[in-house]
Amino acid sequence: MRIDRTQRTWFIVSLAILIVATVVYVPYARSSPHGPSGASALGLTFGIVGFAFMIFAGLLAPRKRVPIWRVGSAQAWMRGHLWLGLLSLPLILFHGGFRFGGPLTTALMVLLIIVVGSGVFGAILHHYMPTVMTVETPLETIFEQLDRRRSQLLAEADNFVEVATAMEGPVASAAARAASATEDTGVAVEVDMTPLRSFYAREMRPFLQHPSERGRSLADPAKARTMFDGVRTLLPAELHETVKDLEEICEEERQLTKQSRLHHVMHDWLLLHIPLSLALLLLGAAHAVMALRY
Amino acid sequence: MSPAGMIELTIDGRKVTVPPETTVFDAARMNGIPIPTLCHQQNETPVGVCRVCVVDVGGRVLAASCVRPAENGMVVSTNSDKVLQARNTLVELLMSDHPSPCARQQNTGDCELETLAKHAGITKPRYPKRTTGRGKDESSPSIAVEFDACILCDRCIRGCSEIRHNYVLGRMGKGGLAGIAFDNNLPMGGSSCVSCGECMVSCPTGALTNKVVTGTHFAEGSDAQPVTVEELEALPVFKGVSGTFLSLNKGAVVHRRYKKGDVICREGEYGSSAFYILDGKVRVSISSPMAHVKTQGGARGFLTKLTSALARRQDDQRDEETDQRFIHIDAPVDLAYENPVAELGPGDLFGEMTCMSLYPRSATVRAETDCTMLEMMRNVLDILQRNKNFRGLLDQSYRKRALDTHLRGVPEFAALTDDFINTLRDKVELIRCAPGTVICRQGDVADSFYLVRIGFVKVSQRHPGGEMVMAYLSRGDYFGEIGLLQGDVRTATCTALDHVELVRISGEDFTRMVDQFPEIRRRLEEVENKRLQENRARLALAQDVPLESFLAQGLMEAQSLLLLDLERCTRCDACVRACAAAHDGITRLVRDGLRFDRYLVATSCRQCRDPLCMVGCPVGSIRRRNSLEVIIEDWCVGCGLCANNCPYGNINLHPFEVMVDDLERPGRKKPMVKQKACGCDLCTNQKEPSCVYACPHDAAHRVDPSKFFAGLLKTTPAIAQRR
Repeated sequence: MRIDRTQRTWFIVSLAILIVATVVYVPYARSSPHGPSGASALGLTFGIVGFAFMIFAGLLAPRKRVPIWRVGSAQAWMRGHLWLGLLSLPLILFHGGFRFGGPLTTALMVLLIIVVGSGVFGAILHHYMPTVMTVETPLETIFEQLDRRRSQLLAEADNFVEVATAMEGPVASAAARAASATEDTGVAVEVDMTPLRSFYAREMRPFLQHPSERGRSLADPAKARTMFDGVRTLLPAELHETVKDLEEICEEERQLTKQSRLHHVMHDWLLLHIPLSLALLLLGAAHAVMALRY
Repeated sequence: MSPAGMIELTIDGRKVTVPPETTVFDAARMNGIPIPTLCHQQNETPVGVCRVCVVDVGGRVLAASCVRPAENGMVVSTNSDKVLQARNTLVELLMSDHPSPCARQQNTGDCELETLAKHAGITKPRYPKRTTGRGKDESSPSIAVEFDACILCDRCIRGCSEIRHNYVLGRMGKGGLAGIAFDNNLPMGGSSCVSCGECMVSCPTGALTNKVVTGTHFAEGSDAQPVTVEELEALPVFKGVSGTFLSLNKGAVVHRRYKKGDVICREGEYGSSAFYILDGKVRVSISSPMAHVKTQGGARGFLTKLTSALARRQDDQRDEETDQRFIHIDAPVDLAYENPVAELGPGDLFGEMTCMSLYPRSATVRAETDCTMLEMMRNVLDILQRNKNFRGLLDQSYRKRALDTHLRGVPEFAALTDDFINTLRDKVELIRCAPGTVICRQGDVADSFYLVRIGFVKVSQRHPGGEMVMAYLSRGDYFGEIGLLQGDVRTATCTALDHVELVRISGEDFTRMVDQFPEIRRRLEEVENKRLQENRARLALAQDVPLESFLAQGLMEAQSLLLLDLERCTRCDACVRACAAAHDGITRLVRDGLRFDRYLVATSCRQCRDPLCMVGCPVGSIRRRNSLEVIIEDWCVGCGLCANNCPYGNINLHPFEVMVDDLERPGRKKPMVKQKACGCDLCTNQKEPSCVYACPHDAAHRVDPSKFFAGLLKTTPAIAQRR
């Protein structure tokens, strides 16, 4: 979700809550003889509100699992998740008086910092990465269909090469004859497809089969351009269209590889954020029960 | 000494005697001396246009033997060096422009020109080919025309006029542009050609050939009995059909016998043949439930699950729900909405649209008694339909049985009285149009009103920037009323999309009808106003926004779009999951589609202004409201053609288990999965579409494209420039 002017209301409300909390906390911290404590009425209030914000933020995941329940738009839940989740950190810090306490509370604080930090990191990624992906991968496809699209590209390329190499031989097709100036003399035309066949077998096909493998020259757009220019010089002009098609296939393959990478960048942080959030909520609940009971 | 009254001449050193007025060509032929020719046939008047039959008669120039009369004492040389040189040069010139091997040479190896060239040892003409081709005409289902292979011998023209007396073929153009033409240069399929095949038989090259299409012959089996040409010619319906043609298309028509209860074809199935009932009766019905897909639930409680269910129009009235009482099918009868069953008997033809345009079957046909019928393929049906005798029978049957329900099936004509229909019965003209035929042109004087009987008609308007498709009309729709009511010219061009049959009511009869029935006039004027308003709105849109920008991506066709802002979308697919969750696990949305700047136009129904999905529906169950939103009627048979036709993949088939009549065990029912087409319904019972509601990133939006893109282009000149 982009952090832009549409977030203004949530930003102002969150800021107001933070200011109010700070205004309440500072005199309280100063006036407490033993320093602020989570067990005090005000500290407990900070803890309850902070934990409530964490629970609300955590409810985004179940909310997403029931997309058609009319319990508020997913967009509103996401905004709440972002801003209230972020607010939970200062509130919990106020709750603990900026002290980490025992092992459980220390673990909780560390978890909270990591969860909020990863969330902020994720928000930044979600702010910038969609634009990067849109600009850099205009040929992107649905992520789940990447493998299928890759297979299609490989099949297309095989077909292009097969059709082109079918023109090989001393008696070439009319198209190949037309490409030669020897037509009127009646001399048979020799079209040699070895450069194309060899380039395809040696460079292009392995690249299409394993595009992420290191050291593939075609993975680099500049090197790829040079290689295709070289192939073009070895083939009759009529086959340049085929070479162009193959070049376009390589370009799409590169974009799909990039899309895959960007997709992982955009979503893999969730592998950290979600489990730790769950752990935080569980441990937070345990901490609340233990603190209130004992 | 020659016998009295006979002519004696010498050909290649041989003295021969022939009757007066015999041509040199015939004289040689009668005496076993072959002279090659291309333009001459024994059963046609000689014209001497190809000059291949030139001979030396001792004159200043060589003479065309087919038109040169033999004279007493004439000395003729048919194979001197001078003659051979001239003949070979002619053949070489013809070959230089001939697409060798032509279709005939490829199929049967007997192209007369190529055979001559081979004998003359001409393998590669020295002369250059013409730079631009003369094209092909594929409009006839039975005869292929390749103008490049035409040598302008006129044999086809003489065959058409002298032998068959059809006078369809003629010459057109001059010099290098000269060629054969059908009627006044119409496509062959749209001309008055009766497909007798004489031109094809006469043609010496591959310019006119019998269309050999894969699958034009039925596989013979126990239920398909071959029919001989003689048997066919003995049938009254084939009276007047060319025997030559029938023999060329042998195997494309078979006899089929069905026992009582046998299913002849099922609704929704794809086919390529039509049936003509010789004896017995068949029952035509639609077994798909008369209902549409309705998304329900969700509105009452926030946790209520959405489900898709079938609902009849009586139970679920949608906006502008139709009150159409008859379902138009691919047969000479219409089915009643309440009880979609009818009977056909001897002399009835069904499956015409399936056969001619390869549309799915519109109804299930079951033998009501033991019956016999002819199953025919497209080429044979086309011959029959062009046959005046057969057409007359079909038209008579239509006027007698279907005109009433057809006219009354149009809500605007519901008020017509029996008396008036009876007066129209013999006055209406039933016309056929080949694909691509322009029925009426924008700006022409309005002189007729048309009712679509079979096929689809495209209505379009010209305006700066391109052509705009206004509508597709199918059976039961009509056009031409605006020009007639206004007493003015046509406001749009109407073109046949496929094989179209129309009921034409003359301007005078139309005026009489609207004068006599003020209610019909009022309703037609309402429709006219709506259509004109829609047209004006589109024109205004086209003037506000650069048309090319929208046409380039088809976005202008849309009435409502789901746009994904790619700079906000994290590709999480929450929208797709929400759509699936809202529709029993079947998503009507795929996060893929066209891009317009930073917007992805996701694959979700666009309520197109050019709804290609409507083309070909065998029962006309897809239409749109005045808001242009597509609506699928209760009598959808689930054939899936609309889903295939939609260029954006926006129509889905939703399976439902329903109880249907068991055709094998009459009177009993059995469960069966039936499909119903459905598009995005915008989750109409919800405040906001599920996809938009479920997007956590504020990336999914439903927009009116005309406003959205117009605003975008105005506020962001850079985008307009980039487009």
